[in-house]
Amino acid sequence: MSAFWYYVFTLVFFLFDYFILAMGLNIQYGETGILNFAYIGFVAIGSYVTGVTSLPNSVGTGQQYILGWGLPFPINLLLGGLASSALAVLVAFIALRRLRTDYLAVVLISLSLVLYDVINNYVPLFNGADGLYNVPEPLAGFFKLTTNSFIPFFAAVSGVVALIMWWVMHRITNAPLGRTLRAIRDDVEVSSALGKGVFRYQLTSMIIGAFYAGVGGGLIIQFGGSFNPTAWLPGETFVIFAVIIVGGVGNNVGLLVGALLVETLLIHLPAFLPAIPGHPGLIEYIDTMVVGVLLMVMLWFRPQGVVPERIRRSPISLVKRPASAIIDVAAPTEPVVAPVGNPAIQELP
Amino acid sequence: MTDTPSPTTSDERDEFALSCHDLKKSFQGVMAVSGATFEVPRGMITALIGPNGAGKTTVVNILSGMMRSDSGRMMVDSTDVTNWESYKIARLGLMRTFQLSRELGGLTVLENLLVAPQHQSGESLFNIFFRPGRTKREELANAQRALEILNTYGLYELRDSRARELSGGQKKLLEIARGIMAAPKILLLDEPMAGVNPALIDRIGGYILDLKAQGMTILMVEHNLNVVEKICDHVIVLAEGRTLATGRLSDLRANAEVVQAYLGEVISAGPAH
Repeated sequence: MSAFWYYVFTLVFFLFDYFILAMGLNIQYGETGILNFAYIGFVAIGSYVTGVTSLPNSVGTGQQYILGWGLPFPINLLLGGLASSALAVLVAFIALRRLRTDYLAVVLISLSLVLYDVINNYVPLFNGADGLYNVPEPLAGFFKLTTNSFIPFFAAVSGVVALIMWWVMHRITNAPLGRTLRAIRDDVEVSSALGKGVFRYQLTSMIIGAFYAGVGGGLIIQFGGSFNPTAWLPGETFVIFAVIIVGGVGNNVGLLVGALLVETLLIHLPAFLPAIPGHPGLIEYIDTMVVGVLLMVMLWFRPQGVVPERIRRSPISLVKRPASAIIDVAAPTEPVVAPVGNPAIQELP
Repeated sequence: MTDTPSPTTSDERDEFALSCHDLKKSFQGVMAVSGATFEVPRGMITALIGPNGAGKTTVVNILSGMMRSDSGRMMVDSTDVTNWESYKIARLGLMRTFQLSRELGGLTVLENLLVAPQHQSGESLFNIFFRPGRTKREELANAQRALEILNTYGLYELRDSRARELSGGQKKLLEIARGIMAAPKILLLDEPMAGVNPALIDRIGGYILDLKAQGMTILMVEHNLNVVEKICDHVIVLAEGRTLATGRLSDLRANAEVVQAYLGEVISAGPAH
């Protein structure tokens, strides 16, 4: 396989992967209004747990890590997602229960930093700063794949996973559950006054979002075979925020567009450009700046994103009912408090 | 204070849908409510009136669970709901509206109503994926009922507009419609007529009378005494955070204390504003 196709399939993989990551952050932020500034931490946990459940027992691998169960794909991926969800439960009970948006955001970003430092420095957990490597290529033995054919194969696998996860998310966001989450996003107090146990829904949203983060992270370590702390600097969270803000908060199709524009075209494609002579690594920095500027421009000129949240129209089957039933409208009902005997009401401003 | 026995006996409880006893609430030392005690008779329209700063909105906030009282007790039907969280009180059948309309702006008008029904099957992950038929049937039934309510309230044509795009008066109507959609037993209306044009005041008054006819208990904060006189059966006067008097408006006009605290200016100067 030529280098060109290698690049293309890598880009395709990251498109699908960031689509999954964007869906997870979107249900938390876009649908429920939880500013999860620790999102990349959930991605990392998913990635590491997928790695350590897929790697064999650590004896003799030259790495230090927990578990080492040597489980096959996709069980390890599922465990990565579940581990991330478990972290979400913990975070929700510690922080979400008591704090409102801005304070919660500060606590979450601190949490992200703590998590980062612990994993980076405590080697026995996930091999510290070196991270995990030599993670087995999933299904490669089963399908007799070579290193070359694995890349397109796994890009396709990630596409299938993304499609399934999109379908699940589509069902959730279009169900009454999604509507209740959006009600909470729009006004927490009103939702509570309408009888919605806000915390329960926020918890649900955190768990679902974290599962998506975990699976997205798991796919990364399965694709590249390695994962270490340089891959999830706490600032990475904002790249995923850029994906959903550029694409369109609250719109699953928009998220795919956002993943394409931000992640594929801006973050990963320039990495394949030839370096600027005399300034190695400069492109990478320009890249980050471009994402930042794009984010500001979008928030300023088109805060709803490239593909805005769509209006969920009334069920057609009901609207087309015979005119007698509910179509007959507009004319305001006769005032029952007729001015009979009390002209004063009419005179009020 | 919390161990003070409630003044209502069990017989009286059937008569009252909502009652509170000696509610107190202060904000950084300033007493907003300093001993509000009253009952809201079942199936009637009760007005909560009083001069600005009397603590009316604070009382409504406490009754709906959005604020905790410092002391005192409150009952919905025969359940002691003192310091319950608002969503639990709402589930007992007490719904409220807000003085400044608080529509769920990103949702459509229809969706604003569809959020309201309690215990929807489609709010559970399990049901979404394993009982889709039931979820869908329930959703369609809710949507049909919501469209009927919107039709009654003259909002049918706006059903697919985002709620934030509505005018002030339409938002007022939407708030009430959303409350009705939850099928409450008790409705707390915080100044439903504030900032509304006279024609709409008549319409809203009509809706409130209709709700009473359907057996709903209504407690409304209202400044417009003409409205109070026309549609309310019972009046509670708050002044300086205390219950000053209760009764019919005509009786209260004879009460010197009430007249001095609130009605005086209105009676001498004609209708307010």
